[in-house]
Amino acid sequence: MSDLLLSVEQVEVVYHDVVTAVQGVNLTARAGQIVCLLGSNGAGKTTTLRAISGFIGLDHARVTGGRIVFAGEDIANAAPHICARAGIALVAERDKVFEQLSVRENLEIGMVAGKTGSQAAGGDRLDLKGIYRFFPELERLTGRQAGFLSGGERQMLAIGSALLTSPRLLLIDELSLGLAPVVVERLAAALTDIRDALGITILLVEQNANIALSIADYGFVMENGRIVLDGDAGRLLAHGDIQEFYLGQGAAAGERRSYRAVKQYARKRRWYG
Amino acid sequence: MARASGYLKTGYGQQLVLVETRMQWMLLALLAAALLALPLFASFFLLDLAGQIFLAVIGAVALMLLTGIAGQVSLGHAGLLAAGALVTGILTQEAGAPFWITLPAATIAGALLGLLFGLPSLRLKGLYLGISTLALHFIVVFLGQEYETIRGFSTGISVHPPRIFGCELYDPAAWYYVLLAFDVVVVLFALNLLRSRTGRAWRAVHERDVVAEALGVSVFRAKLSAFVISSALTALAGAVFSYYRGFVSVEAFSLFVTIQYVAMVIIGGLGSILGAILGAIFVTMFPYAIEAALETTGLAAALAGYVFAINYALFGLVMLAFLLFEPDGLAGIWRRLRDYFFLWPFRKTPLAGGE
Repeated sequence: MSDLLLSVEQVEVVYHDVVTAVQGVNLTARAGQIVCLLGSNGAGKTTTLRAISGFIGLDHARVTGGRIVFAGEDIANAAPHICARAGIALVAERDKVFEQLSVRENLEIGMVAGKTGSQAAGGDRLDLKGIYRFFPELERLTGRQAGFLSGGERQMLAIGSALLTSPRLLLIDELSLGLAPVVVERLAAALTDIRDALGITILLVEQNANIALSIADYGFVMENGRIVLDGDAGRLLAHGDIQEFYLGQGAAAGERRSYRAVKQYARKRRWYG
Repeated sequence: MARASGYLKTGYGQQLVLVETRMQWMLLALLAAALLALPLFASFFLLDLAGQIFLAVIGAVALMLLTGIAGQVSLGHAGLLAAGALVTGILTQEAGAPFWITLPAATIAGALLGLLFGLPSLRLKGLYLGISTLALHFIVVFLGQEYETIRGFSTGISVHPPRIFGCELYDPAAWYYVLLAFDVVVVLFALNLLRSRTGRAWRAVHERDVVAEALGVSVFRAKLSAFVISSALTALAGAVFSYYRGFVSVEAFSLFVTIQYVAMVIIGGLGSILGAILGAIFVTMFPYAIEAALETTGLAAALAGYVFAINYALFGLVMLAFLLFEPDGLAGIWRRLRDYFFLWPFRKTPLAGGE
């Protein structure tokens, strides 16, 4: 693969000056890669994602250590619009579309923002047609008010608007949240298409390790605000701990699915088993 | 300031206590001693200022319960103060009623008005609700003016000082203690309300009324009870105010008073009783502080004709500054200061933002 686009180095995030949510996270994404960030609830995945996109300031959190280098520039604690203009687009977990506007208007807002942003690496500027190519469903719904869309359609619309800002890095928080498995598969396939066609980098935060690792090139696993495991997606998918504690296969499944528990379990097995 | 750690609590009761540590008890005792000893040293002017602050605290706490805790916008605060004062004035003038009749009567009148003008809150939210409560202000002020003209009290209704145990409450120091006692009772009432079922329901309705309703909280009851309790307290403050001043005139309850009270809860910090107290102190002292500043800089003589304009303009600027730079208000500043000393020297400083 080609050069390093994003590099998060020893990043530490503190909420309200008091609560440390992320402590010393290291994470890299190369241009054109799909990278996924896994971990249980409260591990710090979303905080990491919001630190990269500059949104933690809104939640009274600040980066207190380390560096977030995007395309050669340190963007730690930069304002969200600065990050967006530098070429980082975020598809948030909730409240991701303008419910009062139509599908078309939602997409056009992305285009307005895209004019000030950097161009997608290589290729022409995207237009509405380009988005409809990835998500034909949206073309059919073009005049509909976004508040009336289903969850899956909203996710497509949110990804579409984000793409129209011509990002070099697309951050997606919980792609599969509240969506039917068949829709998630459809979205995952679309993400692969988007990466192949536009050459952008995608950082995916997911609970569903199976779907995330099946489309990703590389994966990171977070636990308690730290990266505890990383590797090529194929290797991770085959990793015993991942299989046991994130995919729910194996003897200890259903017991405790936290990585800390994974390690304790592994140690016990070594000592007593 | 020493605080109890969440990790050391072993029971539900410990979560609920108002004063958690011995350090807090000591600081409270110091504060109480200072407040009790103040009249021994203070001048007449200072005692009057303290009285105004104490009165403002009652109204600010009432508005904080409604707006800061239960999340219902109200612009009828001056109207409710006026209602309490008018009920007191009318009852003393027409029936010669003593304070132990007028104060409950004013409270009940406030509660009824709150019930009536809380009804729109069941359908309206935010700005729309604010406008509907504005009607309360104009209706009360209009009725008050009509009464004053018809009965010939166009300069105001005079209210005799209350008689307690046969002696008239006239001495500023005595008033100071009475108002201080009022404040202590009101603040304790509000703090206890907040840790009760009603207070929790208010906060739940404020944050997500749909979820609250799904969990069995009656949004209807929560909103109306917030209006009733807040309005009753406000009317009570109005009644005490009329006794303190010795007369009632609707002129004293202009829309600016409402704005002042809204400013108190915003500058103090929405959602905290401490904020209501700090906001009341700040807003009440603000004009005096400006005046003193003008005196000391020697500008008073030069700007004599513009003192009011300067006051209004600076007041607006300060409010704007708080909204922009410190949305959590004085209570937020206090919290941050406390955390700063609490965490020192282990507090982590954020990195400078990369542009």
